[in-house]
This record gives sequence, structure tokens and C-alpha cells, in this order.
Amino acid sequence: MCRQGLLPAGHDTKAMLNNSGPRYKRSKIERRMNTDIFFCIGLLFLMCLIGAVGHGLWNRNFKDHPPFDVPDADGHFLPLALGGFYMFLTMIILLQVLIPISLYVSIELVKLGQVFFLHNDLDLYDEETDLSIQCRALNITEDLGQIQYIFSDKTGTLTENKMVFRRCSIMGSEYCHQENAKRLETPKELDSDSEEWTQYQCLSFPARWTQGPATMRRQGGAQPLRRCHSARVPIQGHSRQRSVGRCESSQPPVAFSSSLEKDVTPDKNLLTKVRDAALWLETLSDARPAKSSHSTTSCIADFFLALTICNSVMVSTTTEPRQRVTIPPPSTKALGTSLEKIQQLFQRLKLMSLSQSFSSTAPSDADLGESLGANMPPTDLDEKDNASVCTGDFSTDGGYRSSTWDQGDILGSESGTSLEETPGAPTLSLASPEFCYEAESPDEAALVHAAHAYSFTLVSRTPEQVTVRLPQGTCLTFDLLFTLGFDSVRKRMSVVVRHPLTGEIVVYTKGADSVIMDLLEDPAHVTDIDVEKKLKKIHARTQKHLDLYARDGLRTLCIAKKVVNEEDFRRWASFRREAEASLDNRDELLLETAQHLENQLTLLGATGIEDRLQEGVPDTIAALREAGIQLWVLTGDKQETAVNIAYACRLLDQTDTVYSINTENQETCKSILSCALEEVKQFQEPQKPDRKLFGFRLPSKTPSTTARTMAPEVGLVIDGKTLNAIFQGKLEKLFLELTQYCRSVLCCRCTPLQKSMIVKLVRDKLSVMTLSIGDGANDVSMIQAADIGIGISGQEGMQAVMSSDFAISRFRHLKKLLLVHGHWCYSRLARMVVYFFYKNVCYVNLLFWYQFFCGFSGSTMIDYWQMIFFNLFFTSLPPIIFGVLDKDVSAETLLGLPELYKSGQNSENYNLSAFWISMADAFYQSLVCFFFPYLTYKDSDIDVFTFGTPINTISLITILLHQAMEMKTWTIVHGLVLLGSFLMYFVVSLLYNATCVTCNSPTNPYWVMENQLSDPTFYLVCFLTPVAALLPRYFFLSLQGTYGKSPISKAQKIDTLPMDKRNLEIQNWRSKRRPTPVPGVGQPTHGPVPPVPEQDFRTSPPKSSIPPKRKHMEDWVLRGQKSSRQCGRDGTCSGDSSAHLSSGEHLLGPNKALAPETYSRGQNDVSQHLTRGGHRRSQSSLTI
Amino acid sequence: MNWGGGGRKLMPDNSAMKQQKLPAHQLHFSARVVLTIFFATGVFCFCMGVILILSAQSIQEIEVCPILLYLFFWYWGLNPGGDVYMYYKLYGFYQNHYRYVLSRSNNQLVGKDIMVRDVEDCAPFKVSQNKTPIAPCGAIANSMFNDTIILSYTLKSSVHIQVPMLKTELTWWTDKYVKFQNPSLINLSDRFVGTEKPPYWQAPIYELDTSDPGNNGFLNDDFIVWMRTAAFPTFKKLYRRLYRVQYFMDGLPAGNYSFNISYNFPVTRIKGEKSVVLSTLTWSGGSSLFLGLAYTVTGAFLWLASFALMAIHMTMKKKKLSYRR
Repeated sequence: MCRQGLLPAGHDTKAMLNNSGPRYKRSKIERRMNTDIFFCIGLLFLMCLIGAVGHGLWNRNFKDHPPFDVPDADGHFLPLALGGFYMFLTMIILLQVLIPISLYVSIELVKLGQVFFLHNDLDLYDEETDLSIQCRALNITEDLGQIQYIFSDKTGTLTENKMVFRRCSIMGSEYCHQENAKRLETPKELDSDSEEWTQYQCLSFPARWTQGPATMRRQGGAQPLRRCHSARVPIQGHSRQRSVGRCESSQPPVAFSSSLEKDVTPDKNLLTKVRDAALWLETLSDARPAKSSHSTTSCIADFFLALTICNSVMVSTTTEPRQRVTIPPPSTKALGTSLEKIQQLFQRLKLMSLSQSFSSTAPSDADLGESLGANMPPTDLDEKDNASVCTGDFSTDGGYRSSTWDQGDILGSESGTSLEETPGAPTLSLASPEFCYEAESPDEAALVHAAHAYSFTLVSRTPEQVTVRLPQGTCLTFDLLFTLGFDSVRKRMSVVVRHPLTGEIVVYTKGADSVIMDLLEDPAHVTDIDVEKKLKKIHARTQKHLDLYARDGLRTLCIAKKVVNEEDFRRWASFRREAEASLDNRDELLLETAQHLENQLTLLGATGIEDRLQEGVPDTIAALREAGIQLWVLTGDKQETAVNIAYACRLLDQTDTVYSINTENQETCKSILSCALEEVKQFQEPQKPDRKLFGFRLPSKTPSTTARTMAPEVGLVIDGKTLNAIFQGKLEKLFLELTQYCRSVLCCRCTPLQKSMIVKLVRDKLSVMTLSIGDGANDVSMIQAADIGIGISGQEGMQAVMSSDFAISRFRHLKKLLLVHGHWCYSRLARMVVYFFYKNVCYVNLLFWYQFFCGFSGSTMIDYWQMIFFNLFFTSLPPIIFGVLDKDVSAETLLGLPELYKSGQNSENYNLSAFWISMADAFYQSLVCFFFPYLTYKDSDIDVFTFGTPINTISLITILLHQAMEMKTWTIVHGLVLLGSFLMYFVVSLLYNATCVTCNSPTNPYWVMENQLSDPTFYLVCFLTPVAALLPRYFFLSLQGTYGKSPISKAQKIDTLPMDKRNLEIQNWRSKRRPTPVPGVGQPTHGPVPPVPEQDFRTSPPKSSIPPKRKHMEDWVLRGQKSSRQCGRDGTCSGDSSAHLSSGEHLLGPNKALAPETYSRGQNDVSQHLTRGGHRRSQSSLTI
Repeated sequence: MNWGGGGRKLMPDNSAMKQQKLPAHQLHFSARVVLTIFFATGVFCFCMGVILILSAQSIQEIEVCPILLYLFFWYWGLNPGGDVYMYYKLYGFYQNHYRYVLSRSNNQLVGKDIMVRDVEDCAPFKVSQNKTPIAPCGAIANSMFNDTIILSYTLKSSVHIQVPMLKTELTWWTDKYVKFQNPSLINLSDRFVGTEKPPYWQAPIYELDTSDPGNNGFLNDDFIVWMRTAAFPTFKKLYRRLYRVQYFMDGLPAGNYSFNISYNFPVTRIKGEKSVVLSTLTWSGGSSLFLGLAYTVTGAFLWLASFALMAIHMTMKKKKLSYRR
């Protein structure tokens, strides 16, 4: 059946509609540069004007035309004004070098070089994906060094986007999967625990399970297989830890299937229950259900069936790439069989030998042997076998079949499929030891893998049927009647199937907990009072578990079921088909029909899936923050999940004061924002005191260090609805002002559009440099909105990468990318640009000064060609090399002292003052370079171009030496290029002056250089002038170098030390800078006591968020486990976990001083006033 | 593990160059290095300055402004010794004017293209009014300095000896032998047939020096000297050098001298002045008093800077010490 309807494609897809198209990005330096070029143009015009006016005045001196005032070819003289105008134009041509066209070319070359080195950095290379950084935008490398705000996606960016099944709750009972958690904590020690693990597997399965050992063997055998790739790969000084289990060398890289996700260690407790459930399920085939539908056993069975069925996961095997095909025509199938068979056999043999060599336990070996033997029997036998073992209503009405395969069957059926297709299992290659599940989202895959661990295996999926293998090996084939796909409005998906055993039509629904919990059948409607009580209890408990999961940073999903009677279903189905076929309002109709079906659900349970933090994320975030970068997380996830991830990655600290704002109402939002703002202002100055806000500066008092250490850091958590209110209520200004005081901002439940709106808001209103980083299609608009978009080439396709400027493979690469490469790129390019301006002005001014001595006639004392060569060859390469290679501070120091990044943020290397200082220096130097030779040769018989030669030489030496002083790191390349430029000048000049007898009138520079080189005065001038010209600059540089207070010059000083001393110095510095740790709970010491009127507000809303949080803390059964989980996730930090646990208490810190009475009173007051527009479950709250 | 195989195709090279880990020297301005550099350079500059000033002292130069008289007397008190050069000096003559500098034909001067067929630079002094080409063409040649200056030495009260002067080897060697060439050496006037003298000139190019036929045409030293356009509006150009014979073996002896100047070159029109300069040379070439002063002053500044640095260094050290305590 063809799914009717039109799929939006191409430009109509959501991804494309959200995508505003490419934005031409210009780096900050280039923008700055363009304004400075206007300055240069102004300067040029001024100089030309002086030339023109001077020319007029000079001409007015003479009553007659002097002999040196040559008329034009016809013997006519120009009128004075016209002559002046022509002189203006002549001067423009003469001095046009002032506008550094060559700068643009050089910048492009430099950026190319920078990108080359960026691309070649081993530290930004990810071995597992074999990807180094991709620089998709070549023109904004230096912006990496000026970032002030980072907007990060959460899923896939901070986290791996590798979903790992962690916990589940079925019918109100929690299964915490302790062993699984343990396994996840110690991913690095897999080799040692593998044996235990297999043993455990054997123990947990009772003896009779050996009759269906296929799954077990599979698991046992497969386990060691993915062990093989944990290794340290030392590559000449670059040793990187390869995170275990990400690279599947023994199997093709299929999306969403890493061992982490696949391996779920079953909960012992649950396993036994599942066994019962499976048994129970089998009894279904014998007789109609004896037990009530609400029994735990049946629910467990249903739960796992739902996990297996209710998704859109496609199954493929290692041997067959994909299994999306519907039942293929048997004839074609038959042709290719023999080959396939052999191939599969080989594959299997190979795999088995592999697994044999790895697995150490006897049982699996034995199993393998068995399986090998079982592979041999002829196909007829299989067929028979099949028929005989198949249980249940094999050929009852229409849709469902089931079959049981034992191990041999599985193998046999694989080899036999071709000849005799079992209709229920089309093209199954069950014998393949690994199923590869390809899912739309990693969550789905995680759930299927989880079910698989409990031996509910998804074997095949076709548009019409789903086959599930039960623990006993029985295969159930469900007829897929309808699939109501996931969409963001409903936030759930459902499948409608016909149960093969009972024949009932069952709807399995899976979705966001907030939605599902609303759609459950009302316990009050149930007649039986006991059942009602039980249902209520289950709902409450499940809700509790869900909150618990969310607190723990798990992604929650609810699983529910509904049995529909035939008649209702038939009626609904016709509606549905109509809706699917309709042309108008199709989406609405589909939504409506879906809503008709998805109600009165019976809750089965809930799952918690963990999205693991990427390696090095907390460290990176800490470093970025130290670098003065504000990090905002914009995520579509739930608030609780997001907040917990934020704590885990140290975005929020347990000592932080966190404000959460959830409201839909604009007025409420406004009052909350302003109150929060006032309160924050009480004990804190803005983070960035003089940042422009809406054109005018915020009050900028330099906060005393003591005040800052006393004040707690502030975090802000805000959700999508509140953001809506902010944007609609024109509260942006208030919001931004509040965020100025916040260390980190967390926006949850954001739509892609909102993400980009926030980025644009911050970018435009605060006029700061922003960077967005994300991995999915939903981050595309945000990536494009920011000044720099970084895509993470991860699990979610290429959209983010395609729209990004830089694509990296791990979040932690951001650290080196920004702190080192960004800093370098910025400082190199900025200083190169400044140098270029200096160079051009310095050189061109020489010509300008000469105008005062040649009657403003536009004469030059330097030969044209030498002038062109000067810019083109003699002085072009050193700045480029400088721009590509210079390192003002070494990479190690930059990484060790992230605060050095601030120099780029503040545009220290290239700002207005830097520009004008260098301009002034250029004027001074050009004056020296001109007037020293002038005074030397004054009153002598020197001719024009002989005078030009020392000037040219002097300016070359000065400009090169100036460059040499700018270079902080001298390598052989730097030296060679500088020396080469210098020598090239002389060689080219000598050759040119020796060969050019009559050429290039009027210069005719024949033998000028040679003549000068034989004159001692030339050397005297050429030595003295550069010394005098560079003296001030050198003096100030030495002052700065020796006594400089700026962090950069201090870091440069550190860099000159030997390695061990350097590290010591860096540590000293860091320990000096870091404020004394804020006494955690001892907050009350801060500032003055807040005024009374505010207390209401401060205390009011936490009702909904804080107390439950606390309660949950108490309820949390597995405290120890949680803390250890934190530990494992973090990898490096162990002390963090305990502190984390008590975060709730810390959050309450500022409130502690308040009396309990006011506390509760306030709550009532304001919560009433706040909840008006609030969401049902996440009330407006301001958490302090 | 796909070591080396297809696994890591995109892995960057681990070379020092590509990883930006070339052995590097940190250019750091530390107190010791800076002070040393400043001091050393300062000493060098200062010494150099003193030497230059001393050597400039030994240069003797005398400038005479023939404002009113073309013949006058003055007493030369010192015996300069050695070579003496006579210059004419022009004030406010912009030989470096853009259009003026252009107004010449190097091809003509090198003897290749007497008829100035291919270059437009010389206009309007390219052809005369009756369309005959001018040799040498252009404004530079046209405005050539044409005063004659004769220096006389009063041996006794009434006996005036004309000081013997050489009018050759006044130019760069390359000018005389490479850049300026007559069309042919034999019978110069024939070679210039079909050309006309520049409008301001009194004699054609082949009759510039009537006394020495070899010093005529484009090879005339005065002409070559004039054609090398001066860099500044006030300039001197070498006119004659002393022929050291008889009384003048050791330069110009002390005594009374007089100039006999035939006034041809107009300077009132250019609002300028002209004068005659007699000068000796030193090893460093022309006058270098400025260079000496500049060296001395720069050296002094370098010392000043180094003292300032030292002072700052001291105070900082003290501060650091007190801070540590």
C-alpha cells in the first residue's frame, strides 16, 4: 500500500524553511578594517587637497612661467584652478597606495594559510570518525579569537547523542538496572569485566533457557567482539585516548549502533519477571487470557512488546546491508541464493572464529560448535522443522503467524530462506549474529536495544508486518495496521497492530511524558474501586519516577497501550483513510484522527535514556568560561534534563544561584525579570561592566574583587514559552540586562526559530561576537544566525555541518580551536592588518613629503618600478608569513591560561587606538625616513633618483625591522623570509639599475644604486635613519616586554622560560587568579540583607520546583548509585558527585535566612498571581 | 584497528611545520638584552657622530652671491689644500618639477634617435616652430645653465691670474660613457644636421665648448651635469674643478680673488637666486655636518632611553622586593 499524500520535499521541507539561506559573513576585523580604510581615504583626500592647494599657491608665486614650469604639448599653460584640480587627481594616483588594496589580497592569503594549519592540527582530528576540522568558511578564521558568546545545542553537542537505556519503570515499579549502570561507569575496563559479565549472563539464565540459547550465545559471543578497539594510539608526541566502543571495526559503520547503546545489562529483578511474562505470553496462544489485563506480568510483556514494535526502526544485518524490502518476488530471490548462501556461511564462520578467539567462557564455545553443526542440515529438514515447531495458529485468520525457532532453525532458515520462504519472515537472515537497527532517532534505537537485552528482539519490519522474537525463541508476527508517526505537535507516536495471539487490535503509544500522562484513561472512570486505586497509584508512582529520571538528566518516554474493539477500529480506520486521502487540511485531519485514537490509554511504564556527556566537555566549558566567554545552552529538551546536563558539564555550579523562569504571560514575565534583575544587582555588578546595551553603556563600575568573590554566580534557566513572552512583550532589553549578570543561561524547549532569534538578539543588541555550535538540523538556523557557526559532524546527519563555517567532530575540540587557533588567527591577522596600514602610510608619506620640495607637482623621487616592487615583492612576504606563522604566545600557555583569550575579545591588537597609534608611528617614521636623508643631502648636487635610492632603502630597512620587532616567535622561515626580502631588494635594484640605460623615462635609473653603494654617506644614512625611526617603538616595546602588566606580555615572559619552569609559572598564575573558593552554604555573608518588600518575590514561586526537588532527593533510593554515576560520567572528577547531590540545598542557600512563615505565605501569594498563564505542570516559577 | 589502512585517510601529517611546532626563538625584550642593545648602539652612534662632525669641520666651503656685481673681490683667508671644486648654486629652481623631469628624451641623448621620432615627452620643446626637431629636446635641456664663471686670483695688486679650471670629469663615469652618446664623434655638426638648437640656447649643441671639440654635443660635461636633475629646488651643480698647477698645486692659496660672471641665466623670473660655491671634499663626500649632528643626537637619545629603562628597572625591582616582603 502506498502511503498516500505528498511529502514536502526540497525547498518545502522544514529544514529548508527554517534555513534562511546563506548569510555573507564578514569578520569583525574586516569590518573594523573597512572603517579604517575610510579613514585612509579621508587621509588621502586631505593629502591630495593639500597637494592641490599647495600647487595653486606655488604657481601663484610666479608672475611669468618659470622655465621649469613646462607647458603642455601645445605650449599652453593650464589655468590655475584647473591645474590645481589636475594636481588633485595626480596626487590621488600617486598616493593611492595609502588605500591598501594589497592588504585584501594578503589577508586572503593569510587566511588560506591559517586554514591550512587549522586543518592540519592533529589535536582537532578525531580518529574514530577519521575527520579533522573542516573549514567551510575561509574568511572568518580570526573571528574565532574574538568570541564573546557561545550558543550551544545540548544533544549531540555537549552530549554524545548516543542514547543509552538506563532505567525503566513498569507499572509503577522502578527497575534501576544497577549492573548496567555499573558497566557504563567503567567503560575503560571492559576487558576485565567481560568475563564477569558473561558469567553473570549464564548465572542469570536458568538451565531451561538453554533450549533457546540463541540470544544468549549471541550476546555472549558478541560481547568480546567489540572489545578489540580500545587502545592508546601514540603518534609521535600526540597521544590521544580513544574512547572505547565507538569504532566498530568488525562491522560496517551503521548509524546509531555503538556498543554502548547496544549492550544493556538486564536488571536481574526484571529479567525474572520478563521470563514469567514471556511464558505468560505463550500461554496466550493456548487459550484466551486468563489474567486481567492489568496484571503486572502482562504489562511487562506489553511494555517490552511496545518497546520493540512502537518505533520506525529498520532492521538490517551485517550480511545483508538493509532489509527495508518488502517481500521480493521469489523467482529473483532464488537466483542469487547459492552465492548468498556461501557468502553468509563464510561471514558466519569468520565471525564465529573471531568470537571464539575472544570469548573465554566455555558455554559460548559449545554453543558455537553446536551452531556450526546445525548449519549443515539440508534445507528440507529445516522446513520440516519449521513446520513442526511452529506453534499456535499458524494459519488462522489473515494476518498473524508465529513460529518458534530454536537455534538450529535460525541458522537453517537463513540458509534455507531462499528456497522456501516462510511467509512470516520474509528475507530474514536471522543467523547473522548482529542485527543492525537503523532508527530515525537514537532514542528509538536505544529502546529497541534495551528490549533486545531482555530477549524481545525485533527481527524484521516491513510496512505491513513486524516480527518479534520472544525470549523462548518464538517469533510473533504482528500485522501493522497503522503507524501514526512522530510529530512535534503530538510529541508521540503510535502503532496499531493486531496481536497475533489474542487477535485483539492494540494501540501502542510512546511519547513525551507530559503528553502521555494527559492522555491516560482517567482512573475515576473505572468501575472497580480497587482498580481505580491501583491505577492512581501507578500513575503517581510513574510520575514520580519520571521526575526522578528527568532530574537525573535522563530523557524520559512513556509507554502506553490501548485495546480497541473491532468496530471502533473499523470506524476509525475509515476516518483515517479519508484523512490520509484528503487534499485540504490534511495535516489537521491527520492530527485529529490521531487524537481520536490516542486517548484513554493504559499506562505501561516509562523509560529513562541517558544521553552521555561527551568526553572533555566540563573541562572545555570551564576553560571557555575562564576565557571570558558566556556560554548559553539552547536546547529543545526538557528543562529538568537540560538543567541536569548543565550541572553535569559544570555549566551551572552547585554554588550558583539559579533563576528559572517559566511563564507564558508577558506581564508576569516582565515583573519576574525586573525583580530578578533588581535582586541580582544588589549583590553583583554586571559581568562585563562596559558592554553597550541598546546604544548606551551600562553603568560601569569596576567591581572590586572582594565583592565579586562574595557574590554568588547567577544562572538563568528559561523555557521556550517564556522566550515567546519575552519576544512578544518587547522584554528583550530587560531579559538581556538580566543575562548580563548571569554566568550562564539555559534556554529549554526552544524551537529552532527561537534559537536563532536569541542568537540574533544577543548579536545585534549587545553587538558582541557570537558563536553557535550544534549538530542537528534544528540547529541550522542558529548556526547561520551567529557570527560563527560550528557544526558537529555527529549522529544527526550533515545539515548542521553543511550550514556551518567550521565543522568539528567533538565539542572538546572547541577549546583548542578557540583558545589557541582563534587567538593566534586573531592576533596574527589583527597585527598584520595594523602593520599593513602602517607600512602603506609610512611609505606613501615619503612621497607626500617630497611634494613640499617639488612645487606640489606630483613628482616622485623613487622609480616607479621600484615603488611597485617595493609593495609587491620586497615587503609583501614578511607580513604574510607573519600572519600565517607568528605565535605571540605558545599553544601550551594559551591552553594553560584561557584568560589570555580575552585580549582577542577586547580587540586589543586592533582597535581604534591601535590603529591611530600605528598611524602616528607611521607618520613619525616617514618623517624621519624622509628628512634625515633630506637634511643629509640638502644643498648638495644630488639628483632626484639618487636621492630616492637611500630613501627607498631606508624605508625598506625600517619597515622590515619593524616587522621583525612585531614577530614574537622566530623560526627559520621567518628569518629566511626577512633576509630574503632584504637581499632581494638589493639584487633586484642592482640588476635593474645596471640594465636600464634608456628605459623607464623619466627615471632612467642607470647605475644609480651602484653609485650609491660606493658612497659612504649612503651607508651612514641607511644605518642612522632606521635606528632613529624605530627608537620610540623599540623603547615602548621593551618597556612593555619587560614591565608589561598585560596578561599577554606576562604570558610571553613565561614562554621564554624552559618547559618545567613554564608549567610552574602557569600554575602559580592560575592559583593567583582563581578567587578563593566561595564558601558553599555560607552564603548569607554576602552583601546587605535584602529589603523586605522583595522577600515576597524571592521566596514566592519555588513552591513548585524546590520542595519537590528536595522531596525527590529523599526519595531517591539509590543515592550512592547516582553519585557514582555522576562520577562515571565525568570521568575525571570524583569529588564533584557528592557536591552535586546537594545541589538542591545549595539552590536554597539565599533563602535560608528567611523565616518559614514568610516562606510559605509568599508562595501562596505569588504563585496564585503567577500561575495564570502557566503550563499545567511547569508552573511559572522563579527559583532562587 | 585499521592502522595505516583506509581508516585514517584524513589524518593530518604530524610534521613540525604542519603542527606549527618549528623550533622557534622567542623574541623577548628582556631588560638585559634591551639595555645592552641601547647602550651599544648609543655608544656607536655617538662616536660616529663625533667623527663625522670632526670630519665636517675639515670641509671648507665658501659661498659667494653675485647679487650686484659680476665682478668683485674678496679675500680668501685659508689655504684649503687639496682638490677644490667650484659649484654654481641655484635657489628656487625646481628641477624636480614633475613635468620638467619628464621633459627629455633619453633615446636622443644616447645618440640613437636624434630626430626624436618616438617620444612625446619633449613637447613642447620637441620641434621648433618650423617643425624641425630640436636637439637636445625638452625643457631640461632648454633651460640649461649658461653663465660663465671665471675665478681670478690677484697675485699682486694689479696682476690678476685666471685660476686654471678643468671642465671635464665633472660627471658620473656612466653618464659620460653610457647614458650620453653623440651620434658620431667625427664631424659633429654634420650629425646634427636637420635639428635645431633649443629656443633659449645661444649656440647649437655642437658648439657648447669652443675650446675643446671633444667636450661638445651630448657629451658636454656641463650639459650632462645639468641633465641630471637636482632633487631639491635649492641645489648646487659642479661647474669646474681646480687644475692644480703652478700657484694652485695645493689648492687655492690665501689671497684676493675675484669672480667674473657673464650673466646669461635669468633667476629673477624664477624668484630665485644664484651663487657660486667653492668647496673641498672629505672622505665621506660632501658636507655631512647634519649627519654628524644626527648621529650624536641619536646616540644621546639612545643613552637617555637606556638610562630611563635602567631607572624603571631599578624601581620595579625594588617594588617587587618590597612586595615580596
